[in-house]
Amino acid sequence: MMETLSTSVLSTHGLVARYGDFQALYGVDVTVNEGEAVALIGANGAGKSTFLRAIMGLLPVAPDMVRLGGQPIGGTPTDRMVQKGVAIVPEGRRLFSGMSVEDNLRVAVDQAERLGRKGGWSLSRLHQLFPILKEKARTPVQSLSGGQQQMVSIGRALLCQPKVLLCDEISLGLAPKVIREIYAALPEIRGQGTAVVLVEQDVGLAQSATDRLYCMLEGRVTLSGRSGEVTREQIGAAYFGGSHAVV
Amino acid sequence: MTSVPLSPTDATLPKVTVRRQTASGRVALTLFVIALIALVAMPWWAKTGTIRMILELCCYIAVAQMWNMLAGYAGLVSVGQQAFMGAAGYAMFVLAQTFGVNPFLAIFLSLLVPAALAVPCYLLLHRLDGPYFAIGTWVVAEVFRLVASNMGWLNAGAGMSLNVMKDYSGFERNVAMSLLCALLILATIGGSYWFLRSRYGLALIAIRDNPVAAASQGVNVGRLRFMIYVAAAVGCGLAGAVYFMAQLRINPPSAFDPMWSNVAIFIVMVGGIASIEGVLIGTLIYFIADRWFGEYGASYFVVLGVMTVLVALYARTGIWGAISKRWDAPWFPISRHLILKAEDRA
Amino acid sequence: MQWFDALVQGVLLGGMYAQYALGMALMFGVMRIVNVSHGDLVILLSLIGISLATSFGLGPFWVMAALVPLAVAMGWILQKVILNRVVGDDPLPSLIATFGLSLALQNLMLQIWSANSRSLPGGGIESRSVEVAGIYVGLLPVIVLVFATALTLCLDLMLKRTRFGRALRAAAADVEAAAMTGINPRAVYASATAIAVGILGFAAVFQSLRSTVAPADGGAQLVYAFEAVIIGGMGSVWGAFIGSMVLGISQAIGFRIDPGFGVLAGHLVFLLVLATRPQGLFGKS
Ligand SMILES: Nc1ncnc2c1ncn2[C@@H]1O[C@H](COP(=O)(O)OP(=O)(O)OP(=O)(O)O)[C@@H](O)[C@H]1O
Ligand SMILES: [Mg+2]
Repeated sequence: MMETLSTSVLSTHGLVARYGDFQALYGVDVTVNEGEAVALIGANGAGKSTFLRAIMGLLPVAPDMVRLGGQPIGGTPTDRMVQKGVAIVPEGRRLFSGMSVEDNLRVAVDQAERLGRKGGWSLSRLHQLFPILKEKARTPVQSLSGGQQQMVSIGRALLCQPKVLLCDEISLGLAPKVIREIYAALPEIRGQGTAVVLVEQDVGLAQSATDRLYCMLEGRVTLSGRSGEVTREQIGAAYFGGSHAVV
Repeated sequence: MTSVPLSPTDATLPKVTVRRQTASGRVALTLFVIALIALVAMPWWAKTGTIRMILELCCYIAVAQMWNMLAGYAGLVSVGQQAFMGAAGYAMFVLAQTFGVNPFLAIFLSLLVPAALAVPCYLLLHRLDGPYFAIGTWVVAEVFRLVASNMGWLNAGAGMSLNVMKDYSGFERNVAMSLLCALLILATIGGSYWFLRSRYGLALIAIRDNPVAAASQGVNVGRLRFMIYVAAAVGCGLAGAVYFMAQLRINPPSAFDPMWSNVAIFIVMVGGIASIEGVLIGTLIYFIADRWFGEYGASYFVVLGVMTVLVALYARTGIWGAISKRWDAPWFPISRHLILKAEDRA
Repeated sequence: MQWFDALVQGVLLGGMYAQYALGMALMFGVMRIVNVSHGDLVILLSLIGISLATSFGLGPFWVMAALVPLAVAMGWILQKVILNRVVGDDPLPSLIATFGLSLALQNLMLQIWSANSRSLPGGGIESRSVEVAGIYVGLLPVIVLVFATALTLCLDLMLKRTRFGRALRAAAADVEAAAMTGINPRAVYASATAIAVGILGFAAVFQSLRSTVAPADGGAQLVYAFEAVIIGGMGSVWGAFIGSMVLGISQAIGFRIDPGFGVLAGHLVFLLVLATRPQGLFGKS
């Protein structure tokens, strides 16, 4: 089996997270192996974004709950997570409005330099991947189209030179053609040996783009398996709960 | 265990009552009424000096509670409430001294001035973002002071005296002061309590906890803030009019003294923000500290300042916050509790 | 001619105000914090400078050389000890903390230096004047204006061109996203406040050369800085600079009308801008 050979780069162990009195995650166990692409699917409010935020140190979690290369790192401040090689394309893109495309990307280049992170990504390499970003280098990000903004957000995360890239709904609100364009970049990203966690609403897309998938429901993992092997029925049950609800 | 029926038409629906008063609340309410009666009766048990001291105490309570309503509930941090104290004070002096209106009637008429001034002030200041609002209120108070210093009919920088009070005997003045103290407390503390328990109170608490969510639930955040701003201006105005009537003199630096903001902030932050109990505790602490350490002047204010910093850094909920975390015994209960009737629980 | 003179004096006065306003605009832009003790820090630095000058016989230049690093250190400590704990969505904690600090600082200064007004001996520079376009203007105010312009220019270039400037703008736009890009917000904040208070080191020297300072003066400086920032429009250092000029000119013209009306005229222009252009003269709506 492949799993026994590969080593996990990022894993969570009984990850719980809460917003004040509201508990959003109830013990989530997820493993991401080196160079692997993993999909995370689930209905609105299932806790997918919360899961990514908890990993990034944006929510308080205990150290043992998140491991990077075996080391407990849960609750590490977000900027230190980037230093350790985890980058995120956040929900809603979260670009630095008022700054140009180039400056948005330069921030990531600056910080990677400062943090001593080395890797294969450079501005020119990114421009090959998304040529439009070169053309729009001087444009303020808020006047880009949704797809172009998403490319900046992905580019910014890549320039952090991550070992693991977390992507939160990068296809949301985009035209099918643009989605294809963005997903076409995935093989290139993985070609750098970067592991990818894809949060995705489009189950078909998620299945075709990844090796394995996890389905979440109300803060718990309700299904996990190889992306090509899980059936529609299994996903349907895991997605909506019902009679197949898993403990 | 009872299973709660889901259908509202179900005949077995447990009877619930809404409980809003508590044992501690009843005791406090009784004490509050006794305190009001004691205030009214001051001429018969207190010397003139004591009455003046208690009057000052009542003014602190009133101004602090108004600041508490603004900062603790409406999310409007003001450092310029002295603007309205001075405005009402001056209005009362002009009415009584210049126009010969009965001074006790003048006190109430003078409240129209802070109310009328608060409207344009709010309309301008609410455009300022969070912390800038606070500095904006300061500018407004400065403008009031400078205008008063430049106005001939307010006797400019020299200020005015309330000579008409000489027409009344010492006892008559004491009776008036005592009634005004009681009224001031009733209006600010009683009024706030009534307001917080009304349907506006629920909306206010919703705003305090989350303005965005409150707005999406249909609470008109802007209108409620506006109402509180005007009400706080009138409350501070009443305190100012009463205070300067007792002083018999008013001039621009005393009328618009930023000391009032310092004291209100200290009282509310140390006592416990967003609670009436906190204001009473904080005032007591401030008042005692002022009597004991006031003679140390500057060093005393250094300590007050440092304490305010420490509260902001480490104890945001103040003394009352610490107390109410341990004991659930509010003096002014605002929250509602649902109680299952005993016969249904059987 | 008299009004032209007032205009020139106003611009020169604006040069002084710009040195307070820059730091306030920077701190608000990055952290959404208003440091209520901003003006008191100017006074504190001024009084320290005056004491240094009188005890060691230092000239204004050396006082400045001592005060600016001291101011930078003070800003950094202020951020680390107080502001980092109160920065956040709720404006109340930061206001209260800096308000308490202001109260403590004012009274501490009162104890150390008494309520007297003092000024920094400038060795004659404060009384020299130069002729510009037919009118005589003080040399010192011109130097102040030159410094203010240079500081604004440097700050603007720093924000636009340097790594630190980009990090600062990123943190100002979205702190959380900045952290996701590897920026340490607390470190950026500490540097921003160090710069903001550091500029006050220059301001302190000029303020105490131009006029006198006393422990209770800080509030007025805070208010002028605030008015300049709002008049100019939040979000740009040039906005703060121009706002300072407008404020200075308003005060100078008001002063010509009636000496008691100078400061009030500035307040009124501020309120007028708030009523008609709340985003400021240069702000985007
Ligand atoms: N800041 C917050 N405060 C309180 N509750 C929150 C907050 N953010 C999310 N939640 C709650 O946590 C739960 C999980 O939210 P989360 O955003 O992780 O869902 P999601 O799976 O990413 O959904 P979506 O597909 O809509 O993005 C939801 O019930 C949501 O209401
Ligand atoms: Mg989400």
